[in-house]
Amino acid sequence: MTVKIITDSLGDIPAELAEELGITVIPINIIFGSINYRDGVDLTTEQFYDKLEASKLYPTTIVPPIGRFAETFDKVAEKSGDIVVITNSHKLSASYETAVLAKERMKKKCRLEVIDSLQAVMAQGLIVMAAAKAAKDGAKLDKVLEITRQGLPRAHSRMAFGTLEYLRRGGRIGKAKTFLGTVLKVSPILGIRDGEVYPFAREHSRAKALDYLYEFADGFTSVDGIGVEHATTPTEADELVKRLEARFPGETIYRSRVSPAVGAHVGPQVLGVAVLGDRDQP
Amino acid sequence: MAEANSISGKDLREMFIAATGWLEKSAADVDALNVFPVPDGDTGTNMLLTMRSSIEESYQVANNSVSEVAQAISRGALIGARGNSGVILSQIWNGLAQGLDEKETMNGADLVECLLLASRTAYNGLSNPVEGTILTVIREAAEAAKVHAADVSNDVVSVMGATVEAARESVANTPTLLQVLKDAGVVDAGGQGLYTILEGALHYLKGETDQLKLRRPWMVASSVPLTARPPQMVGAMDEIPYGYCTNFVIKGTELDPEKLLKRLEKKGQSVIVIGDNSAVRVHIHTLDPGDIMHYVNPLGTLHQINIRNMDEQYRDFLEMQKERMPEVDTAIVAVVVGEGLSQVFTSLGTTIIVPGGQTMNPSTKDLLQAVEAVPSEKVIILPNNKNIVLTAEQVPALTEKKIHVVPTRTIPQGVAALLAFDYEADLETNTVNMYQAQAEVRSIEVTRAVRATRLGRLDIKKNQAIGFLDGDLVAVGDKMEEVLNEVLERAEPDKAEVVTIYYGADTKPAEAEQAAAAIREGYPQLQVEVVKGGQPHYNYIASVE
Repeated sequence: MTVKIITDSLGDIPAELAEELGITVIPINIIFGSINYRDGVDLTTEQFYDKLEASKLYPTTIVPPIGRFAETFDKVAEKSGDIVVITNSHKLSASYETAVLAKERMKKKCRLEVIDSLQAVMAQGLIVMAAAKAAKDGAKLDKVLEITRQGLPRAHSRMAFGTLEYLRRGGRIGKAKTFLGTVLKVSPILGIRDGEVYPFAREHSRAKALDYLYEFADGFTSVDGIGVEHATTPTEADELVKRLEARFPGETIYRSRVSPAVGAHVGPQVLGVAVLGDRDQP
Repeated sequence: MAEANSISGKDLREMFIAATGWLEKSAADVDALNVFPVPDGDTGTNMLLTMRSSIEESYQVANNSVSEVAQAISRGALIGARGNSGVILSQIWNGLAQGLDEKETMNGADLVECLLLASRTAYNGLSNPVEGTILTVIREAAEAAKVHAADVSNDVVSVMGATVEAARESVANTPTLLQVLKDAGVVDAGGQGLYTILEGALHYLKGETDQLKLRRPWMVASSVPLTARPPQMVGAMDEIPYGYCTNFVIKGTELDPEKLLKRLEKKGQSVIVIGDNSAVRVHIHTLDPGDIMHYVNPLGTLHQINIRNMDEQYRDFLEMQKERMPEVDTAIVAVVVGEGLSQVFTSLGTTIIVPGGQTMNPSTKDLLQAVEAVPSEKVIILPNNKNIVLTAEQVPALTEKKIHVVPTRTIPQGVAALLAFDYEADLETNTVNMYQAQAEVRSIEVTRAVRATRLGRLDIKKNQAIGFLDGDLVAVGDKMEEVLNEVLERAEPDKAEVVTIYYGADTKPAEAEQAAAAIREGYPQLQVEVVKGGQPHYNYIASVE
């Protein structure tokens, strides 16, 4: 029996890829005004950013109730007795805690393990995809868990931001609050460290910020997965992919787009790169 | 509770319980924010204790109309109020009780009315209302609720949602209104506490019990630069005694709260007097609590007397802050002059600014003091002037700390170096990266010639505008803006991406904007940014990258 993988929609795995790898994605809820949307189900990224631009509202996000998680777990358990749930960092959302509590409420008996990715966006996505590939190739539960846990410290991401306003409003700004209120127009580069948002660099122009993203990926000595995702600037993302393809020939570079629930916290213009791999610098 | 159009007395009580539970989760974080009026670090705790007293009292009423419950909440808060924030909170619940008087249930319109009354009552209770505090938060939240009910929806949950959102914005904005918050780099603690209470209530109204259980309240981040004061300045505050936080209730028959307030204002700070002719609660910060007690004793019987030494509290608070201080592995000391430039440097993460620059070079001792004051064993110094580089290089030999000097000779080089600072990297790596980054930027300085002179092929008259590129005099002219443009021409603008212009104290913003417009026109590919530097001597300092 194949081990099944479940994650939340904050990992930004493209829908086709999730389907191909048999990953079940639980959509996070986005609240826009007083309307509740399911991430990627009722609202596409395109629609989300259109709404964001058109309305003056700041959207918020909410992890679905424990019951919804438990339902999903039970449904997946019908197909497989072994399940690995990999969630968004517990410091960024309630996904992990909800999954742990949902496990207790399951009706079906099965082996289900919940792992906190301590990541978000494509870095979370790459960890999940690595687990799903292993499962698809026939790895048993313990092996999938081992691969996942080994992947955790090897997943890294960097994002060039257009504005930090959304992170600030949503309360997810973490240590990057040192970058707030900068008098100069700079492009902040943030990533995730110890499960929370961390300020890595500031560049004085967008072009330099994009160079930073390339150089960040360039610094890896071995690579098991690369993802590039954008919010509203596809051309920039395509360009970055092109440069990375030249640097890592033969490596598939997953192309994704931030999900609306992620978009609610990162705002427009975000461009991100995530790498599962090893690098010289810690 | 599922979404509903009105709130019953029972709902109101449960909502308060949920809000109190929500506040409890972050009470310690709220304590840590507390810097105004006295940094004694107990705002969260005081608000929590006040809320608990309200809840206890609310169980004393059997009848479940919102009016009864709100009266009980208000009564409980008055009896149990602790500290400034607790007393103001009790005033807010007093407004709530007024708004719900004789009401069975509460709808959206009632909520708006309650918030407006709460705001008014809170302001009225204080002899000297200060903006940028919990007062501003309740006022702006109430105003937003009113607008939302009129323009969008008067559904009670929807109104509460708008209230919470406005409260959060208001909290984020408190440092722009109150300097002491800005200096400490925090938002107002009482405001954060109130926001948390309102948010807890909203979660309850929306039926988000999972949220209440699993989550912790988010602490609102300040919307302005966090310009944390250098630690030695915090130390200096040690010497100002705060005295005693004195709280008590007087019960009597013919009490006159207004008269009492006027009298007490002469005897201390942060005076709050609330109540009626039969019971009055007093909060005052005084150096001599005995004097206060002596004064009020004949007025009636004294109850719930609570006197705390705020200096002790403040010391504990400092200890608590130290533990919470973000660990700066490597601190940065920069030499800068001009308010705008100082802001640029602090907003980019400079730990301490030593005032100085052209014609006002700081001494080695000035720099050494700054280095010793930062809470880090590793320090990078940015001299930002060629005449200060040498002074800075004396410092490493004079201290136990590990000091590296990145020899920036201009302000633009300093900014470029700062931007390259990597929070992840160690001292050596950062020094190398910052050194490389500062070398890549071109610096333009435009000033006025102090005397007539001849330099190379340039003939300069006194008071003419002169322009430097990377320290070398390359242009002279009658207009500052023309000279700026001329120097830029020599700085390979075709290869550059960004030009940042810092205009000086003697330059008008309109002139700077004009200069920028001219550059944009001449070099459409350049991103030109204009920043008020406020520096003396130099009309313009500009970086070309």
